[in-house]
Amino acid sequence: MKNPEQLIRRGVHRKGIAEGIVKTFLGCMTWAVIAVALMIFGRMIWDGAPVFFKREAPFVNIDFLTKKTETLHVFDDAEGNRHQLAASDFHRWTESHGSDAVFNEQTFSYCGGGIAGPIIGTALLTLLSVLMALFFGVSAAIYLSEYAKQGRFIGWVRLAILNLAGVPSIVFGLFGFAVFVLAAPVLTDAPADRSLLSIPLGFTHLSFQGWGSSLIAGAATLACMILPVIITASEESLKAVPQGFREASLALGATRWQTIRKSVLPFALPGILTSSVLSLARAAGETAPIMFTAAVAAKDDLPWQGSGGPLGVLTGQVQALPYHIYTLAARIPTSEYTERAQFGSVFVFLLMIFLFSAASVVLRNRVRSKLKW
Amino acid sequence: MPEPLPSQAPSGHPFRRKGRSTEGLIKAFFGGNAALTIVILVLIIVFLLREGIGFFPAYRNELQNYRKSGLEFVDIARSDLTAHEEMGSLLNRAYFAQINSSCRIEMLRSQEAMSIANYLSEATAPAHDALARVKEAAGENATPAELLEKLSAKYRSLLENALAGKSGEGFPPTPHLSSAEQKLLCDQIAARDPLSTDDPPFATELQAALSAKQEQASAPLASFKEAIDAFQSTSSALDALVTETSDAVKTTKEAAVLHEIEVRKRETLLDAAKTAKPELRSQLEADAASAVMTEPVDFNVAMAPVLARIPEFKEANAALIAGLTEVSSKLPEAFSDDKANRYLKAFRAATPAMVAETADTVGKLEAWRADLPVEMGSTISGFISGRDWITGGEWQDFYGIMPLFVGSLMISVIALAFAIPFGVGAAIYTNQLAGRRQQRFVKPTIEFLQAIPSVVLGFVGIAVLGTLLQEVSSADSLSWIPGFPIQQRLNMFTAGCLLGLMAIPTIFTLSEDAINNVPAAFAEASDALGASKLQTIFRVTVPAAISGILAAVLLGLGRVIGETMVVLLVAGNRIQIPDFTDGLGSVFQPAHTLTGIIAQELGEVPFGSVHYRALFVVGILLFVIVLAINWTAQRLLRRFRISQN
Amino acid sequence: MRTSLRTTLGFIAGAVLCATAGAQSISLKGSDTLGAKLVPQLVESFKSKHEGVKFEIAAEGSATAFPALANGTAQIGMSSRKAKPEEITAARAKGVILNEVEVCHDMLVVITHKSNPIKSLTKDQVAKIFTGQVKDWSEVGGTPGPISIYTRNTSSGTYKDWQTLAMGGRNYPSSSQKMVGTEQIAQEVAKNKNGIGYVGLAFARASGVTAVKIDGVEPTAANSKKYIYSRACYFYVPENADALAKEFVAFASGPEGQEIAKKIGFVPNH
Repeated sequence: MKNPEQLIRRGVHRKGIAEGIVKTFLGCMTWAVIAVALMIFGRMIWDGAPVFFKREAPFVNIDFLTKKTETLHVFDDAEGNRHQLAASDFHRWTESHGSDAVFNEQTFSYCGGGIAGPIIGTALLTLLSVLMALFFGVSAAIYLSEYAKQGRFIGWVRLAILNLAGVPSIVFGLFGFAVFVLAAPVLTDAPADRSLLSIPLGFTHLSFQGWGSSLIAGAATLACMILPVIITASEESLKAVPQGFREASLALGATRWQTIRKSVLPFALPGILTSSVLSLARAAGETAPIMFTAAVAAKDDLPWQGSGGPLGVLTGQVQALPYHIYTLAARIPTSEYTERAQFGSVFVFLLMIFLFSAASVVLRNRVRSKLKW
Repeated sequence: MPEPLPSQAPSGHPFRRKGRSTEGLIKAFFGGNAALTIVILVLIIVFLLREGIGFFPAYRNELQNYRKSGLEFVDIARSDLTAHEEMGSLLNRAYFAQINSSCRIEMLRSQEAMSIANYLSEATAPAHDALARVKEAAGENATPAELLEKLSAKYRSLLENALAGKSGEGFPPTPHLSSAEQKLLCDQIAARDPLSTDDPPFATELQAALSAKQEQASAPLASFKEAIDAFQSTSSALDALVTETSDAVKTTKEAAVLHEIEVRKRETLLDAAKTAKPELRSQLEADAASAVMTEPVDFNVAMAPVLARIPEFKEANAALIAGLTEVSSKLPEAFSDDKANRYLKAFRAATPAMVAETADTVGKLEAWRADLPVEMGSTISGFISGRDWITGGEWQDFYGIMPLFVGSLMISVIALAFAIPFGVGAAIYTNQLAGRRQQRFVKPTIEFLQAIPSVVLGFVGIAVLGTLLQEVSSADSLSWIPGFPIQQRLNMFTAGCLLGLMAIPTIFTLSEDAINNVPAAFAEASDALGASKLQTIFRVTVPAAISGILAAVLLGLGRVIGETMVVLLVAGNRIQIPDFTDGLGSVFQPAHTLTGIIAQELGEVPFGSVHYRALFVVGILLFVIVLAINWTAQRLLRRFRISQN
Repeated sequence: MRTSLRTTLGFIAGAVLCATAGAQSISLKGSDTLGAKLVPQLVESFKSKHEGVKFEIAAEGSATAFPALANGTAQIGMSSRKAKPEEITAARAKGVILNEVEVCHDMLVVITHKSNPIKSLTKDQVAKIFTGQVKDWSEVGGTPGPISIYTRNTSSGTYKDWQTLAMGGRNYPSSSQKMVGTEQIAQEVAKNKNGIGYVGLAFARASGVTAVKIDGVEPTAANSKKYIYSRACYFYVPENADALAKEFVAFASGPEGQEIAKKIGFVPNH
């Protein structure tokens, strides 16, 4: 023990143990987070995948994806066999067997049929909102990275972007409701009483009475929400284009706009698209902003089947997957009969989000490896 | 970037001019789009304010009506009644706790017998119901033998399955019944006619045994029970008074509200008439003239009979106090049961306060004036510090955001209690201790968590986590944890867990960034001085990154407070400030939140009503809170960057 | 870039223009009691007779029916309570005259957890429990445990009906939990052994709960006369509604509709 070297070693050893303990402890925490996440996903996949996948030929439950949402009827027949039928099938069944043959009938709203309406609604909402946000967002980003000089205006814009990014989604819902649903301008012959301002145009009126709860109002709300994300990401991709490209173009006598169009945008575009895929996932996943602006719990026809003509798509309410899941979670008790609809919808939803996110990651990696200057 | 100088080209050159004007236009277009962000932010603020600003005057007006029509007066008297009921409830609980403590075993046995009976009848319910319906439909006629046979067979097979414990959640556990007793019970149920729903004789026996035991236990407490009953009956005079006067004032208020609506309608019609075409004008004016059909309410006249009863109120009040002192003298010293004792103690502790409050009431009633205006300041402070958010009621709506705010805050605290250690711990581990391969897996995985939509997490809470926690909490070995067993499946803790999971990626990513941004020289210097790895991490690197980590925590907080779907689905929606007497266990109570209330109620309120505006004010508050949090986080980050330079 | 610009502009212009078009399908709004079970099945059975009719059902509570009718966003309002005078006045102020049609009767049933030994309560006890005067099951003779009250949310007609029918118009205690739908009340009560709630008769058969007798009267359709907590449910239709909507209302209150109502657990009109 008198050997100093041993003393040092002992010290080192003790430190080693302490370090090991701390490292294991922190490691356990890290992996615990991942384990919990995996457990949640696992549970959703475990219960949801059997609804989505099939053993036979197409391997995907086409019915679930393409049928409309209906009430689910669960009942026994005289032999005591249990049947689970969606409303339309149930009516066919009772017509052929007589309604006296139905025993112990239970009904579950929104749990029968498939989820075609919510899928299509979410797709439309997301696409439309990302298109709008891309248009405005990329233009704003071009200004910020190509034209702007440091100044008060830019300071304000950056402050606005920063603050917009932090606004809670429910406040966007309130905003969308107050602005797009109740106060946006429409052309109408008979302005409503609550119209903010009505300007007669001779043949008709321009009335600020809102678009009502509709696809377009929901998409506009979502677009406002993802705008800051798109601006920030686009500006980054624009800034990543080497300065030399611009200088070369300008040196050849091109105007600023020509330079942007020909030698900046094309190189920044992949990056912008990647970020937009990511915001696609965010727009698809939000519920609070569309609760009052676009979503409806049950709707018979798909958006374009209404009688409002081709533009009726935009003015009609839509079903949406997140709202559908909310309805199923909040109103329908979990039971063996409702699990199919509940876990199936969640699985499809997660799959959608996962695909968007994965696509953006893959795209990002490919863009990074391809575009190197 | 060097700007191409315009002066280098001849000023009159056609290309130059054309170029400049289109260039200017394009630049203005892009600039306009950049300005859009400001426009949106301003629009958010303007529209939130526009809808919300009208709230306070309108609410004040409502409160004014509440006072004028005398509802407030009745509420003052009623507060005593409520307090009295509460005291009576305490005594009753003490009484029953004492009785039940001596019949615990009998109670459990009876419950277990009932749970077996319930389990079996639930398992056979389909066949039983079908049989009953077939018999009922057949009426006088004989039922078809074949169908009957089929259903009976079904019944038997279901029963067999259930007896074998294969149906539903399986055979309920019965630790207090012997296996012979259990078998007896099952046999009795199996022998029962399929159509009968009577309790099996053994269950009835157990029930009778319980009643006998309860009777026996209540005998020595008879005088106590008498005292309680006497105490409870002292409020009957006040109860009758309050009921009668509340009917009267409610009628007054309804008449006043109706009149107000009619007056408003007349004004709208008259306004419309002013701008209408001449041929429509007379019609509108006629409508306006006939719009107001009721007389305006004279509040003083309406209130007079109520105010005339103040002496009666006084008497009833005195009776209340007398009853309280009477019962206090008759209370037993102590009970043998702990719980009963606790209730008794609570009663004793609350007595002086209640006597004082009840005595005050008469003074308050006499001092009450219907024509006293409601101050704007008290309206606002009532909104901010009010403990009641009561809407859609028959009596009077109150908007007090305290319970919502406390709910939001508590859930956020729970969430952060999970997210900070896990988020920051994972960040330190990943950045400093983990190997490269682990890093490459852990980072994207945790970041990917961010992509889980909140509604899915809410669904997880309802469908899986809530029930799971409740089941775990009812294990006997865990009953020492405060708040266990959890009574409400949906509560703040469940919501906090899920929100914590949502905040982890935010905190993790930003903290990891902050740690990563600490200059390598710091760690190198520390190493060179002979510090161990741990010393370097915890004394040098993490302290250097602390403001970044704090900013990460704040941003996580902002995310948690603004989150809607999880709390709407999982927090339990009870608008009440949690009862903190449970200590830590109070986290297992349900609550409502600022975000949740907007989501739950906005879809269902009429546009422009006071309730609608109140929700917008809640929205403004939320906006301000989250903005302030983000602002602070940004400032922290900026300071951090400066310190780095 | 240019095409996306054009598309976007097109969309915006379209949005402004097309807001003039109105929906033609029948849209029903209002009560969750009606909208969750009865109306979807009435609709499905009505559709099997009338090809190509489209329906939209939004069941968020009776209070949502009247603004929607007044604004013309719904053709039929469902309500589990009578319209208030100010709601009728508000609609009339916008030129909509509402006709009231009684669809069926509903009984409000008090439910408890199936393991709760209490199978019968008096009217007075129910009032005391729901106003928060009685806080523990032992006070009404049950197993000791704090009572958890589950109610509907404030826009629901059931919420108000219960207040007048059972609670003497007094406010709910703040300890009550507000649920989005009737079925959720049943689910939460089934999961909480100290829970109590009220649901329409149609929902009282949910698993895990027992329907409590009130003053000794069992809540079944046969006892609809004797049972105290019963109420009528209504459709509200604007006088100038289109023929199809009126036909649907007639169908619902006609023999076929009443048969469906009876099967689900509502009490048909007599």
